[in-house]
Amino acid sequence: MSGRQRLSGWRGVAALAALSIAMISSSPGSAADTAPAASVHLETLSAEQRAFIDNEANLRRFGLTRGKLDSILAGRDADAVKATITSMMETMEAAKYQPATDPQPEGQSLLDPVGDMPAVPLNPEAGDFNAGTIVRPAILDEVHRDPGPFSLKRYVDETDGIPTFAGAPVALRKEDLVAGKVEVAFVGVPLDLGSGWRDSQNAPTVMRAMYGTGGYDIFGGIDPAVELNLADYGNLSTDRMSAEQTVIHVRKMIGEMVDAKVIPFIVGGDHTVMFPTVASMADKFGAGNVSVLQLDAHYDAARDLAHFYSDDQAVSGLLKQGLVKGKDIVQVGVRGADLKSEDLEWMREQGLHYHTMAEIESSGWEKVLETALKEVKNGPPNVFVSFDVSVLDPAYATGAGRPAPGGLTMREAVPMVRRICAETRVVGFEMLDVAPFLDLSYATALNANYIMHACLTGIAMRKLGMTKLNYVSPLTAGDGK
Amino acid sequence: MRPIKILAAILVAPVLLPTLFAATPAKRAAAPGNVASAQAPATSKFVKGPPTKPGQIPKHIDSYTPGLMPLEPLTIPDDVMARIKVLPKEKIAFLKSGRSRSVMPPDAMFKKIRTISGVEQLTAYVDAIISVSDQVNFKAGRDPVSIPLNTKSARFNDWHMRRPRTLDPKRDPGPVSLSRYVRGGGGFSTFAGAPVAFTPEDLKAGKVDVAIMGAPLDMGSGWRDARHGPMAMRTLRHGTGGTDVSSMVNPDEVLNIVDYGNAAIDQNSTERSVQEVRRMVREIAQTGAIPIIIGGDHSLEYPNLAAMADVYGKGNVGVIHFDSHLDTGRGRVHLLDHGQPIYRAMKEAHIRPEDYIQVGLRAHYAQSYYEWERLVGMHYHTMAEVERRGWEAVMERVIKEASKNTKYLYISFDVDVLDPAFQPGTGTPVSGGLTMREAIPIIRRLCAESNVVGFDIVELAPQLDPTYRSTLNGNSLLFACLTGIAMRKKGLTQPNYFSPLSSEHGQDNYYGDKK
Repeated sequence: MSGRQRLSGWRGVAALAALSIAMISSSPGSAADTAPAASVHLETLSAEQRAFIDNEANLRRFGLTRGKLDSILAGRDADAVKATITSMMETMEAAKYQPATDPQPEGQSLLDPVGDMPAVPLNPEAGDFNAGTIVRPAILDEVHRDPGPFSLKRYVDETDGIPTFAGAPVALRKEDLVAGKVEVAFVGVPLDLGSGWRDSQNAPTVMRAMYGTGGYDIFGGIDPAVELNLADYGNLSTDRMSAEQTVIHVRKMIGEMVDAKVIPFIVGGDHTVMFPTVASMADKFGAGNVSVLQLDAHYDAARDLAHFYSDDQAVSGLLKQGLVKGKDIVQVGVRGADLKSEDLEWMREQGLHYHTMAEIESSGWEKVLETALKEVKNGPPNVFVSFDVSVLDPAYATGAGRPAPGGLTMREAVPMVRRICAETRVVGFEMLDVAPFLDLSYATALNANYIMHACLTGIAMRKLGMTKLNYVSPLTAGDGK
Repeated sequence: MRPIKILAAILVAPVLLPTLFAATPAKRAAAPGNVASAQAPATSKFVKGPPTKPGQIPKHIDSYTPGLMPLEPLTIPDDVMARIKVLPKEKIAFLKSGRSRSVMPPDAMFKKIRTISGVEQLTAYVDAIISVSDQVNFKAGRDPVSIPLNTKSARFNDWHMRRPRTLDPKRDPGPVSLSRYVRGGGGFSTFAGAPVAFTPEDLKAGKVDVAIMGAPLDMGSGWRDARHGPMAMRTLRHGTGGTDVSSMVNPDEVLNIVDYGNAAIDQNSTERSVQEVRRMVREIAQTGAIPIIIGGDHSLEYPNLAAMADVYGKGNVGVIHFDSHLDTGRGRVHLLDHGQPIYRAMKEAHIRPEDYIQVGLRAHYAQSYYEWERLVGMHYHTMAEVERRGWEAVMERVIKEASKNTKYLYISFDVDVLDPAFQPGTGTPVSGGLTMREAIPIIRRLCAESNVVGFDIVELAPQLDPTYRSTLNGNSLLFACLTGIAMRKKGLTQPNYFSPLSSEHGQDNYYGDKK
């Protein structure tokens, strides 16, 4: 349903129409001199033009294969064929950056540039240019308080008051995290620039107001909110007009949380957020010293785009900047119509471990689960889990910005997340691209919270020493006997 | 609240009237430091700016604009002064300069200083303010002036590369019907069921009167989904066809209408997207056709108005702007977003404030925004005015104003001017808005009775409405304007025209009036 898919669908229709018209014109009964598809007039093409159409990658830019192109060219004379190829080559040339040849006339709008805009201009004259991202120092608080997380609950037992993740106390500054010896802190990053449906800016707020992040876990037989020192760190400031601006601030702020020895639980936000979160882990633990388990319908490995940061290039960005090694990334659940063979080929070259739904279908979930866990354990000891809600089937997560049918069930995803968080040293977890208003029910938010709860449980189990493979509490799994 | 107070003041004190608009020495532009703490200047001494000539930038455009207002020094109360005397000179100078306003309101700072004891604590407190102030304000070298793009990308312009027409079978120029059957129908959704055109040549060959295009820009500040506005309005087949009951005009029979497809959008940059939108709107208008732009968020008003100025000349097009929001944001880090298209269009002199008329305002903007509008010379008719004067009176006035100053009129319709009862599918809804029975007549009448050269419907976010209602209402507004344009083409431009067939069985005049 994304614009891109629509477009390619439309192109498909157009190409099909062209094909059928070409076939009609070469059918018996039409003009006698019509050439059959086999003899396309390529004789007047230059060597460069021939090389152009012999390169499949060029044709794919237009949604064509050589066979489709030949069908389009079949009924045309040599001049028309040459003109067609020329226009395609010109289009591809124009797709490159076209710098200004003349200077920008004085007074002409920056939004009406001569030549292509090489960078998106900002407004340095803006008042309070950085106001959105400056954290208020404690000394400027109107009411003084000692550092440390503070509860928003009036009562000892309160579930429906001012919403926080897992009912956790609030921390606003790094000092609060340090003073409270916080082990896990939730933090919202409501960036809403995804390439699919947009609504992930509402995820942190809606998920705070939904049950599921707190309470007892039936598998581990513990309540992680009791076992762990939790805090809700609120939301980070995002620039709703710019992923690039947001990335800088998020990387810094998550870095501060890691410095405070906290395991951040990041709630996006679209998948663009994965870049600064993982980058901040690499900043702390060293480039190439972080393992990433990504549960996602998308591999997010697009390359060579005009923008440096977006949801569909979070992984390629981390690889290209050398922050994570290809062999240290494990992806599970990849599927959907946006994938491209050349991207998968590139990922294979990078040594990335990907486990698509095709593999899950052919090898079975249990096997893929064990393989993926083993691969993560073989990587660097600092494990980051990036969970894009689209990895779940839309039946469980209708509210996903980039949904793709044929995904994981909750009963597959929850054990995997709990196990990775119990059996490895997870240094950060993120839940991305929940778009709650796309789901008229509570289901997506509840499921996303249960996934986070599974990881919280795992971390608490690890703290309590329950790290043996696939541990399940004897009390809960075997009527306690 | 405030405009009512002003009007009340005028009513009760007629002697004041002459002085109200006379030139007095009040320095209206010299508003203090930052928006948050800007003190509203006394409203009774209002001085109107000089009228803006076409092509001129309005004199007071940058008043009340964050970052562009002169810094007003801070008057420090004596008891506070006595306490800060112990600080070094440069710190006292900082406090006196008024720069602390970008950190906190002066009164809060004074209150705190009064409670601090000891030089050390006071120094730490003031240092923190100075430090935050420094971080908040733009600093060349430290802060970015632009966001770099990947100019080395072979796909830099992929997003708006137009498909070579040579890849399709050759055809004569002109609008192409997507219907299979003689009586229409064929399964393909287009705006108003219209045939499709791709190029200006198609528009010219088809003598096209109206070209409807989508511009699915999705970077609004509220809920997002405006990207799917055009798709929803095309897909919902209802609302855009047939005969209008009041005029008995069927726009499809009178006008040559086409669906011009969508403008390409870079969903990660409004600044890049608006360039392509401007090109496309201009390309339509240059053929003499009326562009109707289906958004997309309200940033689009800027490229649309710029394109109007490109074709009809700067300052030659008036605007009627339906919206619950003022959209006069300015002085922000980004040059354009859906809250500041008007400032940008006026700052580049595409339109004059005197030719800009707003209807339906009611979102919770600070008083200073209204004062800015009044100062630069814009016209506004808020929901307060509708409550006070009644819709009929306001509508009549707007229609009269629409043709007063300019030969050409552009209408920008933000669907959130409608009440959320009619339009839940929008990113920044505001309660207490227009009904469809108020919106349809004014749109039909404006499009019939004034020379409309462009029209947009923006901010429809269909996914937020689980029903078809928001989209149907979008289509009905489109139909109302198409009806008006068709009426105009048929010469039915008299005020508030009704077909005799439209009421009272077409047979009698029971009410005995001339309506």
